[in-house]
Amino acid sequence: MCDYEPSGMPIILALQGAFAEHQTTLNNLANKSCTKVKSMPKLLSKLVRTPAELAECDALIIPGGESTTMALLARISGLLEPLREFVQRKPVWGTCAGAILLAESIEGSKKGGQELLGGMAVKIGRNGFGSQIDSFEAPLLCSPEAVALTKRPEEFVGVFIRAPVVLGITEDPSRPKIQVLAKISPEALPKSEDATDSTTPEDDPRLIVALRQGHLVLTTFHPELTKDDRFHEYFVLEVVMPTFSAPPTPS
Amino acid sequence: MSSTNGIPPVTLANVPPLASSRSAQVARGDGAAGPNAGTFAVKSGLAQMLKGGVIMDVINAEQARIAEEAGACAVMALERVPADIRKEGGVARMSDPSMIKEIIDAVTIPVMAKCRIGHFVEAQILQAVGVDYIDESEVLTPADEQHHINKQGFKVPFVCGAKNLGEALRRISEGAAFIRTKGEAGTGNVIEAVRHCRTVNAEIRKAAAMGEEELFAYAKEIGAPYHLLKETARLKRLPVVNFAAGGVATPADAALMMQLGCDGVFVGSGIFLSGDPAKRARAIVQAVTHYNDPQKLAEVSQNLGPAMVGLTITKGMQGGLLAERGW
Repeated sequence: MCDYEPSGMPIILALQGAFAEHQTTLNNLANKSCTKVKSMPKLLSKLVRTPAELAECDALIIPGGESTTMALLARISGLLEPLREFVQRKPVWGTCAGAILLAESIEGSKKGGQELLGGMAVKIGRNGFGSQIDSFEAPLLCSPEAVALTKRPEEFVGVFIRAPVVLGITEDPSRPKIQVLAKISPEALPKSEDATDSTTPEDDPRLIVALRQGHLVLTTFHPELTKDDRFHEYFVLEVVMPTFSAPPTPS
Repeated sequence: MSSTNGIPPVTLANVPPLASSRSAQVARGDGAAGPNAGTFAVKSGLAQMLKGGVIMDVINAEQARIAEEAGACAVMALERVPADIRKEGGVARMSDPSMIKEIIDAVTIPVMAKCRIGHFVEAQILQAVGVDYIDESEVLTPADEQHHINKQGFKVPFVCGAKNLGEALRRISEGAAFIRTKGEAGTGNVIEAVRHCRTVNAEIRKAAAMGEEELFAYAKEIGAPYHLLKETARLKRLPVVNFAAGGVATPADAALMMQLGCDGVFVGSGIFLSGDPAKRARAIVQAVTHYNDPQKLAEVSQNLGPAMVGLTITKGMQGGLLAERGW
């Protein structure tokens, strides 16, 4: 039996995509909660498909999948406005398609544009590395500020599938500061066809693959596809849990 | 159960070049991607992203746009939908690359295309065109009556049809990263898809209850590689994503296949041969998300106009039994 009360409750948006994989990783984390990771709360994860289910959530993970499909299903299920409101107040983590939905502006969207939830002052490009044959795996360089990500020495390998890229960040002093959680190395960044200069500058925003702004997190890769659960641990311990112990930060 | 368990641990290496646009990538084709592209994790990972979604057959850019707007998670580009292949007869081949390229440029969702069973040059061409997935499909006329394509050597991932567990595991062993039922394409009749799905499920349950010695004998019996059968028995599901295909024509058909345990649905002739394709497409997309909610299914099944005309499946039917192709 576990001594910890159920408190953190990451819920996974289950309209389309890899929601079962996120749930498996969270369940495995929950099983570790009594043994290996003492500070881990007892986790309850649920799948969300309706506004009523969303209303019961304390936190949300938006999985990888097709962002156009998810946005459409969110709209016809009456979830779009409840989700936009949720993003303003509670912890949300978007992976890949979920990252696209959390961005405030987007490049390369379908004809006629695409609905977003917004919330993060980031511009994102869809399918930034090309089509499926350009999908790849790469080791990440994680920020030491994120304890859960760097406490173990081995590299976290990101799986990038038709991944979006970060094209720019808007600094706004009135909003929570944007924190870079992970990058890929410049050698790892694919070279563009027409570029005459083959070196990629260190500050190229496309190197950024994980970001946090206040209670919102985005990753352009898929931590749900690898057995490494450090990003899930980070989200639960360092993003979701503080919202239970401290008064909510004004957005 | 999640299929994440079935995916081997990831490895490191270099990363492929960045394409400046989607069509630039298409023009470049294969060869530019680095050694760390096209790993099995990346191939099966895309199938995992399609789960809970609907993949729709389209024959031109306009239909592809309708499918994208209706919430398709991918489209299958082909010259004739299976019902028309069945009606018109003749040899059915890979589609014209220019038509596939037009569809790639028209939508942002993944684009798949079909090649003939065993026709590895059609597969090489489709990879060069830049499709996101290849379906080595029994709907086209087979090019080899003994061998399937060795799919391991390709960077682009493959989906293959299967009627039973042995066939599914043979395809995975050849490199398929995604399995679907065969059903009986172009009939609008779901009975064969149900049969294939139930057969695979029953065989997995049987294998899961077996001891090691029995698994060796069972692998021989169903013609499956032992290591994949053992992994399937441990996971109690196929080690890759498994979709329904062949004969799905209504939201109820789609939800039926989901409740039987499929991860998502292909719809071929069922959408664009129906009375109101856009509306039916959207209804099937919703049915796959809310497959366990009869109220919602009733709501989305209303006023869809006429479904495609269905066919009774018999040995002598026009176009023959496509599901029997594949070895």
